[in-house]
Amino acid sequence: MDLQNQQRVKDAAEKYGSENVVVILGSSDAEGAEIYAETVTNGDPTYAGPLAGVPLGLAVYHVFEDAIRQEADPALWEEQIGMMEMVLDTEALAKAVAGMREQYSKYAI
Amino acid sequence: MGKLAGKKVVLLGERDGVPGPAMEACLKNSGADIVFSVTECFV
Repeated sequence: MDLQNQQRVKDAAEKYGSENVVVILGSSDAEGAEIYAETVTNGDPTYAGPLAGVPLGLAVYHVFEDAIRQEADPALWEEQIGMMEMVLDTEALAKAVAGMREQYSKYAI
Repeated sequence: MGKLAGKKVVLLGERDGVPGPAMEACLKNSGADIVFSVTECFV
């Protein structure tokens, strides 16, 4: 994850409290989604950024997980995300992020 | 009340996946407080 964005996530967790922050990913591949999810829960696995060694344990979801989809406006979902939902492997993406969340998140919605 | 109501939400979008603004539009009525929204690209 971009180092600047790692810092912004860290700042948000400090400002609002880790229990109040939810991270939602729009990644296109399962491997990338897993790395993002690991970064905001267990810390930066590449040890390059501000979240290296910082296990925030944030609640993290992929936008394609049911818990998030149910919160979205159905008409806007179709308009904004419907197309990508058809071309991406939504099941693999959801599973990748859920796996990391179950392993490392201290919070959930 | 939705599950995201009152939560501080960070949207990490991707250009080749779902971009930040698309997620933001879909969730604007969920009661979530969107802290920031970005779209990364890997090119």
